Amino acid sequence: MLKGIITLLVFQFIGECIAILFGLLVPGPVIGMVLLLTFLILRKSSFESLDDAAAIHLRYLPLLFIPAAMGIITQADVISKELLAIVIALVLGTIIALAFSAKLMDYLIVKQEEKK
Amino acid sequence: MNFEALIEYISSTSLIWLILTIASFQLGIIVYEQFNKHTLLQPIIISSAIVMSALLITGFAYEEYYKHVKIIHFFLGPATVALALPLFNNLKHVKTLFIPIMITLIVGGVASVLIAVGLLWILDANIPTILSMTTKSITAPIAIITSEQIGAIPSLAVSFVIITGIIGALFGTSIFKIINVKHDISKGFALGLISHGIGTGRAVEISEKAAAFSALAMGLSGIFTAILLPIIISIL
Repeated sequence: MLKGIITLLVFQFIGECIAILFGLLVPGPVIGMVLLLTFLILRKSSFESLDDAAAIHLRYLPLLFIPAAMGIITQADVISKELLAIVIALVLGTIIALAFSAKLMDYLIVKQEEKK
Repeated sequence: MNFEALIEYISSTSLIWLILTIASFQLGIIVYEQFNKHTLLQPIIISSAIVMSALLITGFAYEEYYKHVKIIHFFLGPATVALALPLFNNLKHVKTLFIPIMITLIVGGVASVLIAVGLLWILDANIPTILSMTTKSITAPIAIITSEQIGAIPSLAVSFVIITGIIGALFGTSIFKIINVKHDISKGFALGLISHGIGTGRAVEISEKAAAFSALAMGLSGIFTAILLPIIISIL
């Protein structure tokens, strides 16, 4: 699995370097992700130790948010003041966006099938 | 026996907080599986509640806690890179439905951000809150690093991400039934696009096809949002 972990770290490193070198606003790890994806497309397949390394990172992914998420205890003021707005935006926003996206995709699939 | 030295060690070591954080998450996984993977009992919810209680009860400052567990935060970087793999494995589906996927990705993704931001705007929320809402539909690791980039509050951003995921997973299937969505592909794609990983967890229960398109939507929207959002915000 070490080869896989090295691959992930190297792609992140290259991504961060590119972001800094060109003053890009895109986060370095995302550039690393796109580069790794491009690498895999060119290579036409992944390899076992990379699959394993990725699987272990993604399996426990939510654990990695906890340090950032706990910052919410410093935001009690914001949340108590804007709670209603936040709840409405999250609930309504998510439901409308889900319905809209699913319907749009359905419509586009039907349209593509008709063409054939 | 040197109790003073022991107390000194315990109050200064990172190990206590690392153990607490990881053990809480393990407990979260156990509870989640015990309750048949109920959406509301996500491991992150249970573990956050435990760690938050510990911080509030002991009055330990968040900044100090963050320093102790920063090594966990570090792995968000390689984990983001690792997201290339599920995307690569599902990329073959893009070819068959390239145009529907690209249109829904862009129109649906933009609409999702605009609706939530618009609602906050109407309801008179502050700018940092609005900025933190812009990453709500993308997968949490990308949301955290992107929110740092655009001057949003990462902890708010990640909370919005998790809640958006849970709402989508809870109501998605009922919404699709009410508005009569026909294809599993559309259901999965919408769940991944709007409710990222938690939505994808629900899509797995719909069908294999729904799961594949959900993972695809999640990966693509993460990349598109992380690239476009900082540019758009820097222009505004």
